[in-house]
Amino acid sequence: MHELSIVYNILEIVKEHAKNNNLNHINKVVVNVGEFCSLEENSLTFAFEALSKGILCNGAALVIQKTEAKAYCTHCSTEFKVTFMSKLCPICKGYSHQITAGYEILVSSIEGE
Amino acid sequence: MKQIVIKKSVLESNDKIAAMNRTLFNSEHVFTINLLGSPGSGKTSILENIISKISCKYNLAVIEGDLYTAKDAARIARYNTNVVQVNTGGACHLDAPMIYKALPYINTTNLDFLVIENIGNLVCPASYDLGEDMKVVVMSVTEGNDKPLKYPSMFQRSHIVILNKTDMLSLTDFNKEEFYQDIYSLNETIKVFEVSCRDGSGLDQLIDCLMRAIKNKKDV
Ligand SMILES: Nc1nc2c(ncn2[C@@H]2O[C@H](COP(=O)(O)OP(=O)(O)OP(=O)(O)O)[C@@H](O)[C@H]2O)c(=O)[nH]1
Ligand SMILES: [Mg+2]
Ligand SMILES: [Zn+2]
Repeated sequence: MHELSIVYNILEIVKEHAKNNNLNHINKVVVNVGEFCSLEENSLTFAFEALSKGILCNGAALVIQKTEAKAYCTHCSTEFKVTFMSKLCPICKGYSHQITAGYEILVSSIEGE
Repeated sequence: MKQIVIKKSVLESNDKIAAMNRTLFNSEHVFTINLLGSPGSGKTSILENIISKISCKYNLAVIEGDLYTAKDAARIARYNTNVVQVNTGGACHLDAPMIYKALPYINTTNLDFLVIENIGNLVCPASYDLGEDMKVVVMSVTEGNDKPLKYPSMFQRSHIVILNKTDMLSLTDFNKEEFYQDIYSLNETIKVFEVSCRDGSGLDQLIDCLMRAIKNKKDV
C-alpha cells in the first residue's frame, strides 16, 4: 500500500540527480530493496508506471534488486545472513537482534541521456 | 547514454525529520511510543485504559492518526487529555513530517509521555520512523495466531506486542503456543502482554512497564 509514497520518493531522487547531471530523459532506474522491507514488487512496478507517465522517466524501466538481510553478533564481532525466522550467529549460535541490513530501500543508479 | 550511481535512501527525507522529532523528545525527556496494529485490534481502547491509570501521575499527550474522521481523537478528548488528530487523507501510514507538523499543537514542555496512535495497518507503518522510543504493536485473538508470520516486519521491529481481547479466547481457535513460538523466532527480545480491555486483565502489568519507561526517561 505504501508503494505509492515510496515511488514518489524514488522519483524525487531521480529528478534531482537527473538535473544535476543534465539528463533529459531516464531509461532505467535501479533500486535496492532489503529483504525485510514489506514491499510488493508488482505494486512497485505498477506505481512506477503510473507516476512516471509524461515526465522525465516516461517509459523507463524500474529494476528491483533484492538485498540480503544481515545482523551483527557483538560477541563474535561478525556479520551474518539472517531471515525473519532465523537470527542465530553461525559461530556462537547466539541470537542477534542487531539488524545491519535488510530494511533499506535505495535508489542505486539511473541511466539516461 | 550516461549511468549515474546514486545509492541514496528513499526513506532519507523521512528519517531526517524523525531525527529532529527524536532530538526534541530527548531534550524534553518525553517518552514516546508509536502504537501500531491492525484496524480494530483495540489500540484506542488500550490507550483509554492507559490514560485513566497514568494521567494522575504523569503529563501525557496523544497524536491520533487516522485516514479520515476525528472519532478517535474525540474518544481521547473525553479524558481531558491533550490530543491532536492527524488525518492522512488516504495515506496508509503516519510519517515523520506529519508528526513534526502536529507537535506545535502539543505543549511538550513538562510533557512526560506521548502516544502516537498510528493508522490501523500491519504493513506500511513499520517502515516509517517517527522519532519514537518504542514501537508497540497491538493484535487481538480474533485475528488469528498466524498474524506475526504474515506481517513479520511489524513484529520484528516492535519492542512490545500486546495480545488483546483475551476475554474472547475460548470463542476462537487462537493457538497461544504457536503464537509464542512464532513471535520469539521473529524477535527474541520482544515483550508480550496478554490483556483484555473488556475484563481488565493484564492491563496493570502493561501499565507498570510503561510507567517504568516514562520514569527512566525523566531521570536521564
Ligand atoms: N471483547 C473485547 N472487545 C474489545 C476489546 N478491546 C477492544 N474491543 C472492541 O474492539 C473494537 C475496536 O476497538 P478500538 O479500540 O476502536 O480499536 P482500534 O485498534 O483503535 O481501531 P482503529 O483505530 O479503527 O484501527 C471496539 O468495538 C472495542 O469495544 C477487548 O479486550 N475485548
Ligand atoms: Mg483507534
Ligand atoms: Zn556470535
